[in-house]
Amino acid sequence: MKPVLLIAINFVREQRWPILVLLMWVLLLAFQGLVTEIPRERDDLLFIFKQVAVYVVVFSIFFGGSAIYNERRSRRILAVLAKDVARHQYLSGLVIGVTMACGIYCFTLGLTGSWTLGQSGFHVRDVWFLMACLAAAAALAGTVALMFSTFLNPFFAAGATAVVLLLPAVLERTVSHSLGILVPTWRLTATVMRSSFDSPLEVSWTPILLAISETVFFWMMSAWIFTRIDIAVAVE
Amino acid sequence: MSCALEFHQISKEYRNFPGRRFRALDDFSLQVDEGEIFGFLGPNGAGKSTAIHLAMGFMLPTHGRGFLLGQPFGHAKTRRRVGFLAENVALYHRRAQPLVQFYGALNGMGAADLKKRSREVLEAVGLTEHASRNVGKFSRGMLQRVGLAQALVNDPELLILDEPTSALDPLARVSVRELLQRARQQGKTIFLSSHLLSEVELICDRVAVLHRGKLVRLGRTSDLIHSAEQTEIAARGITATLFTGATCENGFVHIVVPSISHRAAIEKVWAVGGEVVSVNPVRRSLEQIFLEVTAGEKSGGTAGEA
Repeated sequence: MKPVLLIAINFVREQRWPILVLLMWVLLLAFQGLVTEIPRERDDLLFIFKQVAVYVVVFSIFFGGSAIYNERRSRRILAVLAKDVARHQYLSGLVIGVTMACGIYCFTLGLTGSWTLGQSGFHVRDVWFLMACLAAAAALAGTVALMFSTFLNPFFAAGATAVVLLLPAVLERTVSHSLGILVPTWRLTATVMRSSFDSPLEVSWTPILLAISETVFFWMMSAWIFTRIDIAVAVE
Repeated sequence: MSCALEFHQISKEYRNFPGRRFRALDDFSLQVDEGEIFGFLGPNGAGKSTAIHLAMGFMLPTHGRGFLLGQPFGHAKTRRRVGFLAENVALYHRRAQPLVQFYGALNGMGAADLKKRSREVLEAVGLTEHASRNVGKFSRGMLQRVGLAQALVNDPELLILDEPTSALDPLARVSVRELLQRARQQGKTIFLSSHLLSEVELICDRVAVLHRGKLVRLGRTSDLIHSAEQTEIAARGITATLFTGATCENGFVHIVVPSISHRAAIEKVWAVGGEVVSVNPVRRSLEQIFLEVTAGEKSGGTAGEA
């Protein structure tokens, strides 16, 4: 477990600048909360909150999809895998690292959202439920992207991930509503996007639990693939 | 004596788009004994790094199998007993000592042990003064030395080093050479891939030459550089014209003859009243042997197409 945590923390450390840039958006929301005349512009505030929230899912795809590629391209992967680190442990470290990066973002957004939306009349409890939805959606999206990135370059991995994550949305509209939960990132993100001051939030933990289960499933798939491929590195 | 590293009839093919295959290693077999310094030579593209990456478990062989310290290639726990330095070393941009500690911790080392050990290895590679500097600001030579430090931090039984001195200045090269010799005295095995043939000649007990994915020479360094096929005779009191190709230097005539006929050459010297001063097998440099076995290779040549 120690190597897994070391790799995860190291991933967050290596991604500290993108994470800090992302957190600037959250600070923008906080700033908006300071300058907004809340009773009149609370819907605008919620709109910005939703927009900033959805970014984390997109960025988790980029974090997950590029993690292995960057490590290979920089050749840093060799020094890590030359140690007592099995391939599945290495991937676990990356999955946890991506989830930690997204978790930091969701937690900060949760704090800011509790303050800004809380004083606008949005239940603080609901803000944290939405953050749980987002964190689960981001973890799943990042893991799917990581799985594709074990054998595709980041661009195609991101494309393939988008297809997998959006397929349930298509099935939901064309085949059956219940198929929307198949890969629940879409459903969880939609929960965030549909939140409003006027209608009560539908709190269902099923998609979150399903997202966690599928994260584990896709992590196992990634590990299975990753142990069967060569670690080709860039030649200088 | 047991083997630290074994390759058994290993082949490795790379599949390129669209369907072309390159054989980087072809039925490659090699055994590296415990406690020796083994030199692994070959031109660019010969398959040296492929062989090393297979041993470290970064790649999977197409055919054949291999063992690292008695365990199959890719066994993670065994790598705890191995130190590895990659060619063109690439490390995370952190301060040198925490970086070495990070790599040690990946090998399951405890924090207290790591602090002491990281100081020791940084001292051994001459980076004590730079222990708190970020390696991102290091020169290539310094980076290579940090790479060596991270390979040594877990006190490995086997060191696999891919071009460990390529970016070092002569002074640093000497200190690395001494470091490797000390490691051998401690009973460690060193598998050294290098283009610096003079270095290899100085420190390696045995060498293997790989060319186009095949092993083309293997033997003790001393056996390889002392040819059994030719003998050099130094004589005086004769003229150089007595033998074809003989040279005269400081009053001594140097004659190189096939070993099988050296007795006849000596008798010929005696017959004309000359004196034989020395008779030695011809000593060739490793560079000469290397050029000989890789002759015919086009520049930048790669392993064979399958």
